[in-house]
Amino acid sequence: MIQNFISMNGYGIYVWLSFFATFLVCAVVYYKTYKTLRKYEKEFAKELSRLSKAEKKLVLEKSKVASQVLASYNKSI
Amino acid sequence: MFELINPSKIFYWIEKLINFINSIFFIILLIAMTFALILSPPDYLQGDSVRIMYVHVPSAWIGLFSFTCLAFLSVLSFIFKIKNLNLITKSIAPIGLMFTCLAILTGSLWGQPTWGTWWAWDARITSMLILALFYVLFILAHKLIENEAKANKISSLIAIIGAINIPIIKYSVDWWNTLHQPSSINIYGDSYVHSSMLLPLMLMLLVLLLYCALIFLMKYKTEIIRIKKKNIKRL
Repeated sequence: MIQNFISMNGYGIYVWLSFFATFLVCAVVYYKTYKTLRKYEKEFAKELSRLSKAEKKLVLEKSKVASQVLASYNKSI
Repeated sequence: MFELINPSKIFYWIEKLINFINSIFFIILLIAMTFALILSPPDYLQGDSVRIMYVHVPSAWIGLFSFTCLAFLSVLSFIFKIKNLNLITKSIAPIGLMFTCLAILTGSLWGQPTWGTWWAWDARITSMLILALFYVLFILAHKLIENEAKANKISSLIAIIGAINIPIIKYSVDWWNTLHQPSSINIYGDSYVHSSMLLPLMLMLLVLLLYCALIFLMKYKTEIIRIKKKNIKRL
């Protein structure tokens, strides 16, 4: 039964290759996208830390996005 | 209405949505794979090779749908000059390219046992290849042109011109004699796919759509952060 499932009556190579290629590409793209997002979050947090205390406070108060990015970055480290 | 897609307003929800999709994704994937590879029956003519349909068809649909969105949003961006729409199109394009390429690749893997050839310069297959080229042009316009306003204009133009290809892809199997079979699923009419095959197909479509949403949200979030980082002093 397992042999039948793997060979798929002779079409196994085509079927498994299609599914494997699809999920491999999806996994690689997910990983790259995730890495890029984390990289930008890190760079944004670095850029924020370069600001003076007063500037940083002002930015975090004025921009919801900035405070959320910082929170998300702090959660991930 | 466009105020609703203001990055500052939806940023909070992006994180929530990403977490939600992550939490349900693998359960739905497992169910869809069980149906696609085990529970669905083999085709009376094509045998088990028909299972390739469960990745090929949703990939092709997503490739086409993404470009339709790209073209529509590009038209809106041209008329209303909303910068945020460009961030959205920029995040959609790589997903569309990926699924168009997957549709071509899995189509080739399906073509070998069914038609006896990996590739044919058939109207449907060729027009899908042209779609992939339009995606590449769109992405290259953003990568190669440094002036952002100019890049947005040119990429929008590429998307609008490329939209001509969408109905060609859709009706290529009716207009020309092709190796590719006519569409078996019709939203407005009768579908020729049995429910035992339609269910896994829809489940796989759902899985891949959830995946697209996940990648889109992550890419969109990256774009927002990139813009905010650039203007950090002006915040």
